[in-house]
Amino acid sequence: MGKYIVKRVLAAVITLWVLITAVFFLVRLMPGEPFTNPKLTPEIQANLEEYYGFNKPLIVQYGQYIGNLLRGDFGYSMKYTNKTVNYIIGQTFPFSADLGIRALVTAISFGLILGIISARNRGKGIDIFCVFIAIIGTSMPDFIVGATLQYFFGMKWGLLPVAQYKGFAYTILPTCSLAFYTLASVSRIMRSSMLEVVQQDYIKTARSKGLSEMRITARHQIRNAIMPVITMMGPTVAATLTGTFVIESIYAIPGMGKYYVESVTNNDYALVLGMTVFYGMFLVLCNLIVDILYGLVDPRVRVGGK
Amino acid sequence: MKKKLLSAALAAAMCMGLAAGASAEEAAEKVFRYSTTAEPTTLDPSKVNAISDNEIQHAATESLVRNTAGDVQPGLAESWEVSEDGLTYTFHLRESSWSDGQPIVAGDFVYSFQRLMNPETASLYAFIGECIKNGSAVEAGELPVEELGVSAPDDSTLVIELEAPTSYFLSMIGSQAQFAPLRQDIVEQYGADFAATADKNVYSGPFVISNTDNKVVTFEPNEYYWNRDAINWDRVELYTVEEQATALAMCESGDLDYARIPTEQVALYEGDSRHHEYMNGNEDYLYINVGSEDCPILANKNFRMALNYALDRNTYIALATSNVYLPSNTLVMPLVAGVNSTYGEEFDLTESSYPLDGDAAKALEFLNAALEEEGIASASDVTVEFVTTDNETNKKIAEVIQEMWQSVLGINVDIRQVTYGEIYSTVYPTSDYQVGYAGWGPDYSDPYSYLGLFESTFTSYGTNYSNPEVDEYLAYAKTEPDAQKRMEALNNAEKLILDDAAFVPLQCRQDHYLMDEDVTGVEFYFCSVNIDWIYGDIAADAQ
Repeated sequence: MGKYIVKRVLAAVITLWVLITAVFFLVRLMPGEPFTNPKLTPEIQANLEEYYGFNKPLIVQYGQYIGNLLRGDFGYSMKYTNKTVNYIIGQTFPFSADLGIRALVTAISFGLILGIISARNRGKGIDIFCVFIAIIGTSMPDFIVGATLQYFFGMKWGLLPVAQYKGFAYTILPTCSLAFYTLASVSRIMRSSMLEVVQQDYIKTARSKGLSEMRITARHQIRNAIMPVITMMGPTVAATLTGTFVIESIYAIPGMGKYYVESVTNNDYALVLGMTVFYGMFLVLCNLIVDILYGLVDPRVRVGGK
Repeated sequence: MKKKLLSAALAAAMCMGLAAGASAEEAAEKVFRYSTTAEPTTLDPSKVNAISDNEIQHAATESLVRNTAGDVQPGLAESWEVSEDGLTYTFHLRESSWSDGQPIVAGDFVYSFQRLMNPETASLYAFIGECIKNGSAVEAGELPVEELGVSAPDDSTLVIELEAPTSYFLSMIGSQAQFAPLRQDIVEQYGADFAATADKNVYSGPFVISNTDNKVVTFEPNEYYWNRDAINWDRVELYTVEEQATALAMCESGDLDYARIPTEQVALYEGDSRHHEYMNGNEDYLYINVGSEDCPILANKNFRMALNYALDRNTYIALATSNVYLPSNTLVMPLVAGVNSTYGEEFDLTESSYPLDGDAAKALEFLNAALEEEGIASASDVTVEFVTTDNETNKKIAEVIQEMWQSVLGINVDIRQVTYGEIYSTVYPTSDYQVGYAGWGPDYSDPYSYLGLFESTFTSYGTNYSNPEVDEYLAYAKTEPDAQKRMEALNNAEKLILDDAAFVPLQCRQDHYLMDEDVTGVEFYFCSVNIDWIYGDIAADAQ
């Protein structure tokens, strides 16, 4: 197991390095520049380039960036002058992560329950209902879900706050909006995976041994059926916890989501890099955890890893 | 750390103890909550780069004078004299203090102005200080900052020398935060992190910034402010809400007192007593690259005239902006200051300019003349490329104009969409376009702020337009101390630019907004500061 983890960590570091290098050079190829005010004079442009070190050779800038990065310093944003990228991430990530964890817990728990119930009651009314929910959830874009919930629960019925993130009541609508899609996909995957497992020989064996239905479901079906859900969890956790542009802007939550989109349109090199590297690290970390979880849940992976 | 915890616990205990008594007081607390879609980019006065940044500084800093919606009143300067040639301003400062109790001295202004123009500061907005003597040379690093025309003979006297008599100087320094005083010790203490957060600066204005976390900027009255009695708010909160629909919903649910209404939803709020509008100073134009090699006919004046006459601006406004903006057929926004009243009232060009309803017959006359002069057989042989940024609103604008030009003139119009970053960093500066859509907002209330776009030395829009007569009028206006003569010269320049059809004027932008009916005294202005709530108030029983 130890060797397996070391290998995975090494692969993760190399992935990150490739990502950083690619993004560093790619952002410079984007059309446009970070300073785009039609009122700028060439003198000011030159001063700005000097200030941010853009007049040095690109390879030197790259070296400096990597050097700073190793010390955990993402540098200063160009759009939000005087603010460091570390500060922006430090300010916004807690909100995104908080919302993301709530949404994930909701999505996974309800998604698994729905999937299991509907698999066990295949073809019955409750199954059709669960499948219906799952289809709506996966086919409705998040801005529709978010805006609809906001309109009815926030504005029309006045049951919950329309926007912002200042307490438990504020978290309910964004959590539900964000959780809906994941919930639906988890339930769909869990359902089909459960149905597949049911037909396996070992379930028949278990049944012929005279185990109770409860025990068969809990010990043999769910444990085996959950593998595909774990697979999808790596990227899902990373994406959900690091902020979503749409839900955060609909509910005016000061999270990270908007900076992914905005930093690119603004050509804010430092912020684009910072956000990408942060997200990349997070994704790699999540996938690493998933890999390790695999090893714990499925002994075959450990063997294969050697 | 332990101490901090202890004090926090104590404070919490005290708050709880006081809660019963405080609720009555809280009811009378005057709070204004408003929203912006554009997150402020900086809290550093020298680096202010957008109206949303400047509005914050307008509350947190005090300049020599204070410009409230065009009304210029003494600020930190109690009085001032202007030399006869209009080149030297001598300000006499009143006794006042920073928010940490230290006195504000003339040297704080000297430091601030020098910092603004210092190349090492790399302020995007340094060009605003080019009117100060040696401003451009200091900005370019050709002269040391000490050579900048600003000095403090003593702590309460500030002398500013200008490059040219700048009639709008006072109104500009009263609304552009780059001219606010700065504390050298604070700036140097924090270095690159100066003003990164609310606590990394001290404040000279009516309010101090007490919080900037989580996209909320909180203002509280500055107890050291010289005119503290004029301030009514106990607290003001500025929320960054990117989604305009969300801001409106928050307004409806009482979480906000003010929110802007997106153009496409303006009709929904018609007749609502909270619904108001104002001109925000932005004018939208089509810039024409008269030196275009791909479309040489743009160099022909008659052709450009045809482009202007073919546009039915009233219909265009209805189709492209849902009647929210105002059609425009001139260059200068009519509300900017003239000699005694507004420029629009004193020098109205709307009557003599291109008809707002367009004139198809005349447009064809111009077109045929142009085709003949250029030796082109048919209008269908002409193709004009229209460049704009890649958002839906601008696409619609481009399509309406494309349709009008194609149907009236019979020419071909292609639309090319590029990113916002691209259009301002490469497309315009390198003249890589034929006709381009873009706006312009003024930095000071004077026709020059718009007319300067067509001075041959101004190349940001790459129009290649150059008319020596226009340059001459503008140069004259720069040095002429007589206000009437100067304004006439500026007006002559505008006439020439319109006669040359150097561009295609489209619209004056209007902002629509919802404002809680209990809120009073919030001003709106078209230049540097859009919403000015400093002297606002709210009915005491309203909250």
